[in-house]
Amino acid sequence: MLRRRARELLREPLFHFFALGALIFLIAALRAAPAGRDPGERRIVVTAGDVQHIADGFARTWQRPPTATELAGLVDEWIRDEVYYREATALGLERDDAVVRRRLRQKMEFVVEDAVMGAPPTDTELQAWLDAHPDDFRTPATLSFRHVYLDRDRRGARAEDDARALAVRLGRGGPDADIAAVGDAIMLPTDYDDVSAPEVASTFGDAFAEALATAPVSAWHGPIASGYGLHVVVVRTRTPGRVPALADVRDAVVREVTAARRKRMLDDAYAALRARYEVEVDPAAGAATVAAR
Amino acid sequence: MRKTRIVVVMLLCLVVPVPGAAAPPATATTDIGTLDATTVAKPFKSKTTYSPPAGWNYPRRVYWGDTHLHTSASMDAGAFGNRLGFEEAYRFARGEELTSSTGQRVKLARPLDFLAITDHSDNMGFFPALLAGKPEMLADATGKRWHDMVQKGGEHGVKAALEIIDAFSRGNFPPALMSLPGTAAYQSSWKQIIAAAEKYNEPGRFTAFIGYEWTSQVPPGNNLHRVVIYRDGGDKAVQTEPFTTYPPQGSTTPEDLWKVLQAYEDKTGGRVLAIAHNGNLSNGMMFPVEVNPATGKPLTGEYAKTRARWEPLYEATQMKGDGEAHPFLSPNDELAGYELWDKGNLNLSEVKTPEMLQAEYARTALQTGLQLEAKLGTNPYKFGMIGSTDSHTSLTTADDDNFFGKHAGAEPNPTRATHEFMRNGDVFLMGWQQVASGYAGVWAADNTRDAIWDAMKRKETYATTGPRMMVRFFGGWDFTPADAETRSPADAGYTKGVPMGGDLPAPPKKGTAPSFLVAALKDPIGGNLDRIEIVKGWVDAAGTRQEKVHDVVWSDGRRVGADGKLPPVGNTVDVANATFTNTIGDTELIAAWTDPDFDPKLRAVYYARVLEIPTPRWTAYDAKRLGVTMAKDVPMFGQERAYTSPIWYTPKS
Repeated sequence: MLRRRARELLREPLFHFFALGALIFLIAALRAAPAGRDPGERRIVVTAGDVQHIADGFARTWQRPPTATELAGLVDEWIRDEVYYREATALGLERDDAVVRRRLRQKMEFVVEDAVMGAPPTDTELQAWLDAHPDDFRTPATLSFRHVYLDRDRRGARAEDDARALAVRLGRGGPDADIAAVGDAIMLPTDYDDVSAPEVASTFGDAFAEALATAPVSAWHGPIASGYGLHVVVVRTRTPGRVPALADVRDAVVREVTAARRKRMLDDAYAALRARYEVEVDPAAGAATVAAR
Repeated sequence: MRKTRIVVVMLLCLVVPVPGAAAPPATATTDIGTLDATTVAKPFKSKTTYSPPAGWNYPRRVYWGDTHLHTSASMDAGAFGNRLGFEEAYRFARGEELTSSTGQRVKLARPLDFLAITDHSDNMGFFPALLAGKPEMLADATGKRWHDMVQKGGEHGVKAALEIIDAFSRGNFPPALMSLPGTAAYQSSWKQIIAAAEKYNEPGRFTAFIGYEWTSQVPPGNNLHRVVIYRDGGDKAVQTEPFTTYPPQGSTTPEDLWKVLQAYEDKTGGRVLAIAHNGNLSNGMMFPVEVNPATGKPLTGEYAKTRARWEPLYEATQMKGDGEAHPFLSPNDELAGYELWDKGNLNLSEVKTPEMLQAEYARTALQTGLQLEAKLGTNPYKFGMIGSTDSHTSLTTADDDNFFGKHAGAEPNPTRATHEFMRNGDVFLMGWQQVASGYAGVWAADNTRDAIWDAMKRKETYATTGPRMMVRFFGGWDFTPADAETRSPADAGYTKGVPMGGDLPAPPKKGTAPSFLVAALKDPIGGNLDRIEIVKGWVDAAGTRQEKVHDVVWSDGRRVGADGKLPPVGNTVDVANATFTNTIGDTELIAAWTDPDFDPKLRAVYYARVLEIPTPRWTAYDAKRLGVTMAKDVPMFGQERAYTSPIWYTPKS
């Protein structure tokens, strides 16, 4: 009960709103924490950590640590960045810059994404997803069958009759009837054991695979048409697809749950943020610029 | 797998008596136990079993895939408007329906069995950075201009893309804009690629290879591109970064790529191979005949050995032109002019001259390889064939009735065929020249990274221009017409000979000529088959390249004319309605063929080419579905085809 309440709460946009608010506050607090990081302040402190970070970046590119001169140059460059960054933001240069806006939006989306992705999905959650979307994970039906091929090119108008007669004749021999010298030659094996329905479809075509799915078991049957011609078939066994246990498809379910959660969370988070604003678009604004169609 | 093979080799060494040596010991002690002859024999199947399928352990199924696909992480793909990433690319290849970058619903008629996403290693992640407007991008005047153009979108974006590609291929890409290996951004792009492959790789059902493209363009734009395919998982692949082409880290010289591949294997114990493509845009550099363009000196034995070691396959057909054969090189082959791109190099900055062609097309390169083998001791061009798309839309589409173009700007729209695709001065290519091609067929034991990669390494593969016909090709010394009448040609094929990609064993006795068993079964949802040809290449006693195309088996009981030529199969294509009928051609073709001109003293190479009957080209579907009027010179149908990996004959020295 409590858990369901908690789950409902997690889905609540208002909850996201508060969570986000807390997060933004936290980030702001963390960012403000190191001395000298406030753009308004006239003090720039380059910490040992900063220098290490700069040196690491250099080493990754050049596969060696920087020399003293190089490092001094890099630090100078870092300070130059910082000075301009502070002056530019003080002047508000970032505000009407499409690139900066886009970049910040992207960063914000990353932050939201990290924040909302939260803990990996629980087994309960995964099981619920599997129960709700069984067809996405169902194992394909498998079947074992034998077939005799009849070449339409060679037999022409007789092909269908030949196939029907053959089905009757083979019926007398049962599923194990000797077919080594029956029908026409084709490169495909005569016996298929435990093949999946999609595999049958990719070899013989969709229509053939569908026909096999409903053909009687243990009885010679035909003709069934494929992309090659006609076939007389006997289905030996047919195992319907089943919904596997969670343990067998865990990775796939995690993939789907995470993808769905990500999409929902991002939409919800945006909706929550968006709800904080009252938006007005001048109704006349677009009229002059919209292309006539 | 590798381990198994080593063990088998060891076992064979144990049981095969060595002439002149003492009799082999009856038992041998290894660190996993003592072996005796009975134990050793156990894993090897006895020759005869009552149930025929029980003895089969050869590949019974061909797996279909694309070894060359770009996503939005490739800078040119992104610039053209591709917004689909790795996940979408894998989902699409696995058969899911999705929305393309231009908002169109799209799905493959049939899923693929495997896929390698091969984004350009240079500037991997450049485009996402440009799009995001990273400060270092905007600090550069050119970067700023590109950024603005891409932001404007549409035509401007396309123009930016072309400028970016052009700057890159001419070697004057602004250094400040490079996304270089070693940087955090670069590493994160590579890790994302690996993570996506790991996520979608599902042994037994779908294989996702880790890979990248090394996009070497020798200025002014000569194409020496290779895709690199890992056999390994992310644990190994992540230990090194992709090789790039920009100095100082990168290089445009293939020898440098091979060094890096060697270093990867040395460091990780992994396995990797490279596949070259688009020799047709290399302006005479892809398969050098005498002089190595990188050194200006004659090719060496070392070059030949190293190239053969790393490059077992060649991508013989793809969207930027077919690379099997050129009419100038094969004047007696009336089917050699298929979907040619032969106007210039990759960016059309240098026009093509006829003498370049010999170093550009697969068929001639196979013959050059024989010449070089005689001279250098190793055949550098001993490659098998595969096809792939090189699509830049994240959508691996090679079917003419479902073609989503080379890049996002060429996804279905009324002007994609009629607009120029590329222009440089007076030289240009039209949109309709894009080719809806191709796929790789691989005869593997299973759908796993190991099994498919191993099959690629041993060249048991073939290229198709899109349709999924099943093709078998075996070479040996005693194939007879009776073998072509059995129900399972592969049984005879593997028992009496070697499959595509193999070497003929030494002839059993004097005066025997090699014989081949070749069979093709149509694509179950494609066109019927016209004919199978065996293309023989050899080097004559004077050391000159020679070739001959033999029609081996064909449909509809046609008779060879007085001129020695097989009459064409006919044409049922209704261009206006973009349809055809399978009323001509055959479902299956199969034959045993013996080389009538065999000379045991001469090196030779054989491969099979399978032709479908004419079917509508993608331009016909565009004309019908989008109401486009095509110019008179636009081809509206074509004969799709498959090229098998060759089988080689080497005389005993």
